[in-house]
Amino acid sequence: MTELVWQRTPILTIGFFIAKEVRNLIKNITNFIPVLAAIFVTDSSWLPYAIGGGYLVFVIASAILNHHFFLYALTDDAVHLRTGVFSKKSLTLKYERIQQAELDQTWYFRPFALTILRVDSAGSAGKEVEIPGLSIDVAQQLRQTILAERKAVAAELRDDADLASVPTAKANSPVDLERQYGLAELIRAGIFDNKLFVLLAVLIYPLSQTEVLEERIVPWLEANITFLEESMWLNVGVVVVCLAALFVLAIGVTVVTNYNLTLTIAKQRFQTRAGLLSIRTVSFRYPKLQRVRIRQNLRARLLKRFTVRVNQLQPSAHAQQQSSGTFVLPVLTRSGLEELSRWLRLPARQQLNWQRISPIALLHPSFWVALSAPLTATLSYLKWESNLLALALGASVWLALQLYVVARWQRYGFTQAQGWLGVHRGVFGHYEYWYPLYKAQQVDVYQSPWLRLLGFADVIIYTAAGAEVIKYQPLAVAKQMQSSWLHDIASNSTRWM
Amino acid sequence: MPVNWIPVEPNYKSYLQLVVLIDMAILAIIAASLYLFLPNNDWLPAPLWLGVPWAATTLFFGLFWSARRYQFTAYARTEEAMFLRRGALWRLTRAVPLNRIQHVEVRQGFLERLFGLAHLTLYTAGSGGADLSIPGLALANAEAMKAELITTIATEQPQESNHD
Repeated sequence: MTELVWQRTPILTIGFFIAKEVRNLIKNITNFIPVLAAIFVTDSSWLPYAIGGGYLVFVIASAILNHHFFLYALTDDAVHLRTGVFSKKSLTLKYERIQQAELDQTWYFRPFALTILRVDSAGSAGKEVEIPGLSIDVAQQLRQTILAERKAVAAELRDDADLASVPTAKANSPVDLERQYGLAELIRAGIFDNKLFVLLAVLIYPLSQTEVLEERIVPWLEANITFLEESMWLNVGVVVVCLAALFVLAIGVTVVTNYNLTLTIAKQRFQTRAGLLSIRTVSFRYPKLQRVRIRQNLRARLLKRFTVRVNQLQPSAHAQQQSSGTFVLPVLTRSGLEELSRWLRLPARQQLNWQRISPIALLHPSFWVALSAPLTATLSYLKWESNLLALALGASVWLALQLYVVARWQRYGFTQAQGWLGVHRGVFGHYEYWYPLYKAQQVDVYQSPWLRLLGFADVIIYTAAGAEVIKYQPLAVAKQMQSSWLHDIASNSTRWM
Repeated sequence: MPVNWIPVEPNYKSYLQLVVLIDMAILAIIAASLYLFLPNNDWLPAPLWLGVPWAATTLFFGLFWSARRYQFTAYARTEEAMFLRRGALWRLTRAVPLNRIQHVEVRQGFLERLFGLAHLTLYTAGSGGADLSIPGLALANAEAMKAELITTIATEQPQESNHD
């Protein structure tokens, strides 16, 4: 083992540590609610500034300290880290244990040709380590070494060879597939994956907290745009224009984050690379795949596009937070989807035998829906005292809900083909989930008293990327499914993660 | 493949009954202290309105539920997987393939110690924290099963470097 040479990251990376502190603040915002409440409750004019200023000083001081005490050392076989201001932390990550190594070229490092190396060792603890401010060359080389190490360890995984050289040296690396997604496609993605409502929520929440809206904006509007009051349609128009502007803005966000999206498949490694300001690469190795989700919401259906997401093992500690490292292709045409499905070795679409669940499954939701009809009828009678209206309303609400229940059942299907379990659902959109069956972790057969009465059972399959329930199978079939899947899993000794 | 279900220890039923009694006693103490110590307790219903349902619930869980639960709880071990049957009214049959077990744990709670019971938990990498936990085993039996499972898992691995 070579002598450890402890290095500090460049002074520029203080920006990274500040960003990290701010991110921590946002993540832990709930802890600050008492402080925020104090700000809003108090009359004193200086307290908000004092708290804000104090926090600013704290962020900068802790960023400087964190930077000062962030030491790393690179050796032939491991990354060593020593961090922590008060409680010291010493971490050694062996290259052979590292699952993933990605480079993040964030916008504030790009002008200086620096990058962030993000290393993942997906044990059950799922340690993620970021080393900011490496020069791109060094980071590329390091990534190559790390990923090459994996090849040396797992000799049987011949396919892993050369996977490190994908982003840089295209000349000597055999890239199986490379696809670029143009601006027009990304705008489509922006339309159907619109974060408008998220944006709205983010904007409205702070607005509603302060009195800016009531005290400043509304009087200003009333004073300056008097014509608004003259016509209701103008009011509506203003709101629509505002929403449209936000909609376009949200499309802009999607385009910026996915700008120049490139998918490369080299041997077993799938990688996306995208971003206008910050370039981000996300990749996974095929043997680690746990779930494929093909999503198409209503807008995407109209635009004839698909979104594909690939999940890897998600340690339960990370299960809630949607990790930014998930592999997503936001916009695919049908042929693009079919091409990717072939690379993911999903069963061919034409020969699938989708199975529906028993129509008995309709009984239970229909019962609750049937209860809704008298309820709405009574309520509307109490409100308007009109028999006819009450009847009509009750009947139409019942009909709409009942139709929805039937449509949901009708659009649900599951299938088993070539070692995959596929499930599709969704009334307005279309959602498809594919699980490699032999990677499943647990299989349950579950019966509520109601199901027992009918002689049916639910089958629940737990995979490393989430659980899937197949409802209403006849008990014997459910048991048969459980035992045959168990047999498949137990007799398969290939690697599952 | 036929599955030979092995029932759990008979005093698992007594253990369940004790747990039910303790839980219901806590509820009773809370209710009683409401009646005794609240300054104006006029709005509370007459004690009998709570007392009768309480007694009925205690009897239901103490006699029917714990008996059914004990009766249905069983485990089975085949060459491929570990099975567990659980539940009284809502019934679950869970199976974990042996080659997906991450680690094994024997645990003994305070009440379980009174009965000499323990439970054996098998952890997998499935998300959602749903794992297989066999309750009501005699401690020595649980330890033996754990040791046996660990050797099985250990001899199974070398096919390839499954751990990375």
